[in-house]
Amino acid sequence: MTATGSTEIGSTAIADTGGLNMTTDTTDAPSVLSVRGVSKRYGPVKANDDISIEFRAGEIHALLGENGSGKSTLLGIASGTVVPDAGEVEIAGRPLTSASPKAAMDLGLGMAYQTMSEVAGLTVAQNLYLAAPADVRPRWSNMEAWAAARLRDASLDINATAKTESLSMAQRQMLEVVQALLSDPKVLLLDEPTTALGHADVDRLHILIRDLAARGIGIVYVSHRLPEVLDVASRVTVLRDGVNQGSYDAAEMTEADVVALMIGRPLEMAFPESLATPSTDVVLKVSRLRGRRFGPVDLTLNRGEIVGIAGAEGNGQVQFLRALAGVEPSNGSVLCANRKVDLTNPPGPIRAGLVMLSADRKAESVFTALGVRANATLQVLRRFGRFGYVRRKRERQPVEQLVDRLRLKAASIEQPAQYLSGGNQQKVALLRPFLSGNLHVILADEPTQGVDVGARIDIYQALRAKAEEGTAVLVKSSDAIELAGLCDRVVVMSRGQIVDEIPKHELGERRIIAAIIGQASRHGGIIE
Amino acid sequence: MTSQTSFRQRMNMSRWMPILAMIVLIFILGGYTNSKEPSFTSEFNLNGLFVATMPLALAAMGQCSALMVKAFDVSVGAVMTVCVVAASYVLPQSRSWWGLALGILFVIAVALVTGAVNVFLIRVLKLSSIIATLATLSILQGTCLWLREQPAGIINSGFINTALKSVGFMPIAFIVIVGIAIIGDVWIYRTAGGLAARAMGLDEESAKRRGVRVNFLFIRAFFTTAFAAGVGGLFLAAQVGIGDPQIGLSYTLTSIAAAVLGGASLLGGRGSFIGAVVGALFLNVIINVLPFLGWSASYGRIMVGLLTLIALSFYQAPELMKRIRTAIANFRLARAPAAAAVSETA
Repeated sequence: MTATGSTEIGSTAIADTGGLNMTTDTTDAPSVLSVRGVSKRYGPVKANDDISIEFRAGEIHALLGENGSGKSTLLGIASGTVVPDAGEVEIAGRPLTSASPKAAMDLGLGMAYQTMSEVAGLTVAQNLYLAAPADVRPRWSNMEAWAAARLRDASLDINATAKTESLSMAQRQMLEVVQALLSDPKVLLLDEPTTALGHADVDRLHILIRDLAARGIGIVYVSHRLPEVLDVASRVTVLRDGVNQGSYDAAEMTEADVVALMIGRPLEMAFPESLATPSTDVVLKVSRLRGRRFGPVDLTLNRGEIVGIAGAEGNGQVQFLRALAGVEPSNGSVLCANRKVDLTNPPGPIRAGLVMLSADRKAESVFTALGVRANATLQVLRRFGRFGYVRRKRERQPVEQLVDRLRLKAASIEQPAQYLSGGNQQKVALLRPFLSGNLHVILADEPTQGVDVGARIDIYQALRAKAEEGTAVLVKSSDAIELAGLCDRVVVMSRGQIVDEIPKHELGERRIIAAIIGQASRHGGIIE
Repeated sequence: MTSQTSFRQRMNMSRWMPILAMIVLIFILGGYTNSKEPSFTSEFNLNGLFVATMPLALAAMGQCSALMVKAFDVSVGAVMTVCVVAASYVLPQSRSWWGLALGILFVIAVALVTGAVNVFLIRVLKLSSIIATLATLSILQGTCLWLREQPAGIINSGFINTALKSVGFMPIAFIVIVGIAIIGDVWIYRTAGGLAARAMGLDEESAKRRGVRVNFLFIRAFFTTAFAAGVGGLFLAAQVGIGDPQIGLSYTLTSIAAAVLGGASLLGGRGSFIGAVVGALFLNVIINVLPFLGWSASYGRIMVGLLTLIALSFYQAPELMKRIRTAIANFRLARAPAAAAVSETA
């Protein structure tokens, strides 16, 4: 009987609570998760410094902070994957005595990881079966029907017999939540659950967690997307540099308040001023370029200009940008500084002065095992050497200057990039175009994805500074606010073609979104 | 979601196809050889074939167990040799039945100790499984040569007769091995424990996060490997009857070959014990038929290597096909005249 009764995450109750705001007073509710005096050190970095937080039953408690502020470490300690140096964790009133995910799960903690924990190669049903504690596991022969029922409970349209690698990122994220709920947890930890989700999916997830909270489950919600968080959370706790900045009622907080707590100063000026008079000196001329999922595209970039590419995801923006970097196949003509660019492989564009900042930092733009210095000078090492022998001293100095200039936070310039936060890794990737002597165009694919607020500003400033030196920047971003604030001009892509161009004086978040949605709906509704 | 598709999914044809294909090939090869030389199916030859298959079948099952958790055990060949050499000391001609029983236990214990050392090297010192077990292999190989410079030490004939006892041409032990392999496959693909083991092989980090006891599973897998190699060593001792210090050398390669032929993935999480047994039989049939067809035994070695390559490429086929398709698409895009590509993207 427990096999069915305990894990229902009732679609029936959603209708009653989904529309309401969370106004229930949970101050007297019992604590479902409490961390007391938790500290954790990684080398010289204090990831968590004497943190104490109470998470209560029935509340949606947002845990906010920049990358590297210690949220992930705290979640790791609470869920038993990280051993704290000091402090204790109590789940539903009982102490977590050993750092093991299984022990935490047995005490009543459910964890939905950001890097999803489904096992590729197994089916959806097998994954759910594996995640279920022994007492709710169905009989083997009944596995698929049972899994289908669990998916229906969360109103997910996923085939239980499908292999998990065939699911979309959004489906996997929702599956991750369903997995976490199988053990009938008292408290559910969600680590950045919406990074892979579109608006419609975010709404569905929020309806689901409001319903769970209404039934007395404590929700710990970690996210970068402030508007979403403030919309759904009842309480907010902010971490900065591993220190708890206090817990507040979400209703009393504005986005600006939260950001001020996160970065320790008010967010006075997020976007750097753009050039007063844009240059008319053409640096990049793309004509009739086409490739997989895009084309033909005509685009001209002037020196000193930052141009944004907007569009609903999957309309060829990424392929276009990557084709310019010679990573994706394409056919057409591209002139950079009046010279023809060879797009058949990546070295061609690099020689021509086009540098790509990939959205997939770990896989494509940063060597995670190498230090900051090695990452920065890799392509220009020859400059620091004599007869092929590199002079460390000559190499170090320009890197150190740039590290200061970009406000890159690392223990030293020899620290391996894998230990840096997302924002600092992106800055490491940025060092390369800064050092390159032959630079005309920066191609930035989601330059601030997974980057915290403070580092974002530094990256915007760095790109603008480079533009003022005469470089053109082409930015693909799914964040309309970012495009509106950063760019001099935004082109909108749909079905692989440029369908709209928004000049500087019209630029604004609403105008961009309207252009994207307008295009999408004209072609039959890509955005819901 | 018709019952037919779910039946096919349930049977998972891709998993059983290579095993079926090997069985068919065994019959074709055997039939062809028999038509040339009828003594191939004589009771004497068939019995020899199955007796020779048993050590490899056990080694391959052990290798399959290691591959399931995404690790290689290169030391199986040396473990088997050590067991043969140890047997030549503890299972001498003049021993009472309980003396023999103690000796067998000792031989198994030697294998398990090696397994424990391998686990320590791989899990505690975090060494790569290939390198760690290669080192173990080398040390054991040297130990064997130190204990017996050349083949010596006659092994107890009572033990040999019991181990190789046959009904007709079929050794009873082989039937037991097949039975255990079937139970093993049912365990892998039809139970929660097997699911956990597969999950660990496919993605250890995710499995751990979902409460799978990954360390326990790894230790169990490697002790299974060592145990299987130990028992395989005993059958090898029964087969050769003397403490030969180099007898097991080739089993490292052939055990991996047989496991892969039977469907084991080098990337972990997939494998079949019965497939490993059939793979072992297949390899032994190839070696067995060569003299009947008048070919040199050296062809056998070459065949084993080629078959391993074919089997590995076969399991990489979906990935290969994808790459070839992408390459063709890219090529077309680069060559296509402008108009054609526009209509393609529209």
